[in-house]
Amino acid sequence: MIGRLTAIAGLVLGAASATAAAPLEDADAIVERANLAAYYAGDDGRTEARMLITDGQGREQMRQFTILRRNPEPGGDQQFLVFFSRPSDVRGTVYLVEKHVDRDDDRWLYLPGLDLVKRISAGDKRTSFVGSHYYYEDVSGRLPTEDTHTLVETTGEHYLLEHRPIDADSVEFASYRTWIDRETFLPMKIEYSNDDGEVYRRVESLDVAEFQGYPTVTRTLVSDLAGGGTTEMRFRFIEYDIGVPADVFAERSMRTPPREWLERDR
Amino acid sequence: MGTPDVGHRRRDGDMKHQLTRLSTERPRTVYLMVLVLTLALGALIPRIHVDTDPENMLPADQPDRVFHNLVEQRFTLHDAIVVGAVNEDHPDGVFNPESLSALVELTDAILAMDGVIDRDLMSLSTADNITQAGPGTIRFEWMMQQAPGDATGALAIRDAVDRLPLLENTLVSGDGKAAAIYVPIESKDLSYDVSQQIQAVVDGLDSPDDYYITGLPVAEDTFGFEMFVQMGISAPLAGVMLFLLMWYFFRSASLVVAPMMVAMATVIATMGLLIGLGFTVHIMSSMIPIFLMPIAVVDSVHIMSEFADRYHEGSDPREVVGTVIDELFKPMLFTSITSAVGFASLIITPIPPVQVFGAFVAFGILLAFIVTITLVPAYIVRMKPDRLARLHVLAVSGEGDNAIARLLRACGRIAFGRPWPIVALAAAVLVVSAVGIGRIEINDNPVRWFKESHRIRVADEVLNEHFAGTYDAFLVLEHALPDERLDTFRRNAAASLDALDDQALAGRLRGHLEADPPALDRLIADLDDALFEARDADLDRLEALLGDAESLQQARRYFLRPDALAYIESLQEALMASGLVGKTNALPDVTKVVNRELRGGDAADYRIPDSVPAVAQTLLQYQSSHRPQDLWHMVTPDYGAAAIWLQLTSGDNQDMTKVMAAVDAWLADNSPPAGVSVDWAGKTYINVVWQQAMVEGMLLSLLSAFAIVFVMMVVLFRSVLFGLIAMLPLSLTISFVYGLIGWIGKAYDMPIAVLSALTLGLSVDFAIHFVQRFRTLAAEAGAFAGAAAGIFEEPARAIYRNAVVIALGFTPLFFAPLVPYITVGAFMASIMAISAAVTLFLLPAVMSLLQRLLFRETGAASGAPVTD
Repeated sequence: MIGRLTAIAGLVLGAASATAAAPLEDADAIVERANLAAYYAGDDGRTEARMLITDGQGREQMRQFTILRRNPEPGGDQQFLVFFSRPSDVRGTVYLVEKHVDRDDDRWLYLPGLDLVKRISAGDKRTSFVGSHYYYEDVSGRLPTEDTHTLVETTGEHYLLEHRPIDADSVEFASYRTWIDRETFLPMKIEYSNDDGEVYRRVESLDVAEFQGYPTVTRTLVSDLAGGGTTEMRFRFIEYDIGVPADVFAERSMRTPPREWLERDR
Repeated sequence: MGTPDVGHRRRDGDMKHQLTRLSTERPRTVYLMVLVLTLALGALIPRIHVDTDPENMLPADQPDRVFHNLVEQRFTLHDAIVVGAVNEDHPDGVFNPESLSALVELTDAILAMDGVIDRDLMSLSTADNITQAGPGTIRFEWMMQQAPGDATGALAIRDAVDRLPLLENTLVSGDGKAAAIYVPIESKDLSYDVSQQIQAVVDGLDSPDDYYITGLPVAEDTFGFEMFVQMGISAPLAGVMLFLLMWYFFRSASLVVAPMMVAMATVIATMGLLIGLGFTVHIMSSMIPIFLMPIAVVDSVHIMSEFADRYHEGSDPREVVGTVIDELFKPMLFTSITSAVGFASLIITPIPPVQVFGAFVAFGILLAFIVTITLVPAYIVRMKPDRLARLHVLAVSGEGDNAIARLLRACGRIAFGRPWPIVALAAAVLVVSAVGIGRIEINDNPVRWFKESHRIRVADEVLNEHFAGTYDAFLVLEHALPDERLDTFRRNAAASLDALDDQALAGRLRGHLEADPPALDRLIADLDDALFEARDADLDRLEALLGDAESLQQARRYFLRPDALAYIESLQEALMASGLVGKTNALPDVTKVVNRELRGGDAADYRIPDSVPAVAQTLLQYQSSHRPQDLWHMVTPDYGAAAIWLQLTSGDNQDMTKVMAAVDAWLADNSPPAGVSVDWAGKTYINVVWQQAMVEGMLLSLLSAFAIVFVMMVVLFRSVLFGLIAMLPLSLTISFVYGLIGWIGKAYDMPIAVLSALTLGLSVDFAIHFVQRFRTLAAEAGAFAGAAAGIFEEPARAIYRNAVVIALGFTPLFFAPLVPYITVGAFMASIMAISAAVTLFLLPAVMSLLQRLLFRETGAASGAPVTD
């Protein structure tokens, strides 16, 4: 689930570190590379994330969680665990996601306060991620096959692509544009437009750093241009290729968090 | 009436004579001055800014208004237009594919309109649904992203809504026959415009349903629009009416042009000044032209009546005009001042638009007086001699012996001849009126400012019949931690920071601590980061501080506590049990729905979870919807304050007052938990606040105007007794009119309240003229009997004419579609009629009973009338 989050967070695949060669010209190929760069860094990874949700009046809320990710195959299915630690009243809330490229994802939710594991029907993926300005789909990842892609422009630094949904009724946007870094293939800016062509939502990668050879976005910002709110997310304690086994991604880990894979200072 | 004693003209004024000389000798200069004044101030009128927001009935810094606005901001509440679709024919009501498809189409069209706040718009097609999708699985999705294609799909939506108490009776009526769209708008002065756009879409909609548009903002803004139209219709109509009446009385169109010029100049200059000084034109001030126009011509009518009587062919119009002005100056000055005082007393009320209205009508009356005594003489001396001659002939032959003149004489004979029955009747009327006043119902509702047939009144009635109510009020519960708790935390935290080994870190953390209130989220985040790299020596302190900060943060997130939610829930139950409220929506409702669905959907799980984490995690799931911001209409993001949204089917202040009383009673028995305060906000509540302020303010302004006018009467007549007598007609008139309101059950609302004080200023006019002229006549005739006969000649006719002019001058208001205009018209017409009648019957009756007392002092033959 933490698809685009980590995409933007940039648990980036080594292949993405291709040096500036002749620019690519095929939009689908660029999207493919960007998808890998953004979603599939390493065999697995762990990061801590802190979201600062600010509403139109400047009022703030904080959410803090740890993401554990495993991807057996580049561009293939993925597993995620998201453990909430703050605010303290939601501590222990866990999401488990089995992301599939060929069908709906499987999602589970554990609420310690209600002592309840619940399966979440995929339904609509463009709902808010725990009250932030990120959508679930920003998190679980929008499959490249859901849009058509056009290369609008190639600048010195970016590929500018425009994407249009194949099923327009399933999304709230009419189109979106992505500025993809030519070197890292990380999406540096995404702008969503409505039917009138107005940009109403923007996602930006503000800071990028390299961890274990993977260029990684460490700070990202979503802006709700209509309502004036923003969510800033910072990623810290980023580690790749930690060797987390597949069986950790199971219901058991939701009720009893796998401490050895979560603690920062292993 | 002989030639007045030249000795009369002495002290009254050099000003008077200078003015008369100026107007009769240099009429062109007078014309020019009036023209310049009118044009200069009239040029400001295009800057007009209409304001119909009843909130402005309260000063901007009024505490309830400030709190209301703060609540709107904190809970991101917006003024909303309510659009309703009603289907009475289809067995499934609006739950059929055609109706729902039209609803989706309309919603999409509204979302595309400027000024609409899309994210807060509430409609079936923008609402979220939470359902069971198989065992152990929940599903979040749009309630109705696309209109269902068949009846089954439509009924599925009805079933889904049935499970969501927040939507039931709000978005869909309980009987399923109606669906609503709540359209929040960026600014309430867009309501009329947006509602017109919605109406245009509705008109082109292929829907089997009837659509209605209402809501307080629409009512208010539409009122503003129609008020503006009325200013363009009623005021000119009143002008035409006046012209025709005066033409009838004086049979000379050219003579009547003069008072019309006075009226125009007064109205234009006054409105120009009001607008030029930056005041908005509010409901009350829009009526200024209609008030000023009849009042402005009154003095002219006196001058022209008197002139027509005195002018003979061959006499010098300049001299006659001088004599007339000399005779009438003092009563005209006093009637103008008393009328102005009546209006100016409105400045005492705490309602800014009413203050502005009072101040500018008072100004207009005084301006009209000055323009009258300069412009009318200037006009008369420039009239051709043959026209002047005809005027006299008409006046003498036409007026002295017609039916009205005979009727007035008969009236005089009765009043002077049988005083006791008249006084007894007046006393009886007073008693009956007093009882009626006791029955007055104080009530108002801006929607009722429209006639019953108005589309907004119709929409209001239909939608409030189907839904839980289109009127909003909010009960705001706010929790404050005891100061000690914060102080202790600050003190302990500061001590911990001082003791840290890493003082650079301590400096950063101190910043969060010293913010007001302390930036706990940021402090916690930084502490959490710091722990990772902390020096060993600091570790324990930082961990302890983090623990303290988190426990304080939890204490501040008060409305996550099950007991806090239970208190809100019991208050909601009490509100519903009172039967006065259509529906309440609040945080417990959301919590219970999500809890039920998380636990499998059983009705038994429709309850508040039993721990803070359980509530917090339930609400975290609610925020994982398409509309996470909806939560912040019910609780602030810091969970320190919660709001209960009350839907009321009536916007009547009386009904809102009952709800407030019910809440007060409940709170008395169920005092809020420690640290929790409960306060009101919302438009319906604000209307109650300003109305209460107005009722009290009006009483005060009425009493003070009464006192001031009484003192003026005593000064004018140099007699307490005459002063008291002059107060009789207005006292009886006011009592009678308000008694009547009590008896017929018409609500005491804003227009009626405002009219009370000004009634006083207007209805004393007749008494002043009557008493003053009577005393002059008594002095001239040297006997009470002579005066008694003379007063029912020209003076009584002038009073009669003026009563008719003013009363009929207000009648164009009867044709306005707005109730306050009609009320004012009816009220003014009856006040004029009643106070003229009281003056012509009661005053002579009382004066004849008290003649020894009254005329002993003047010494009927001494020839010392009060005009000097």
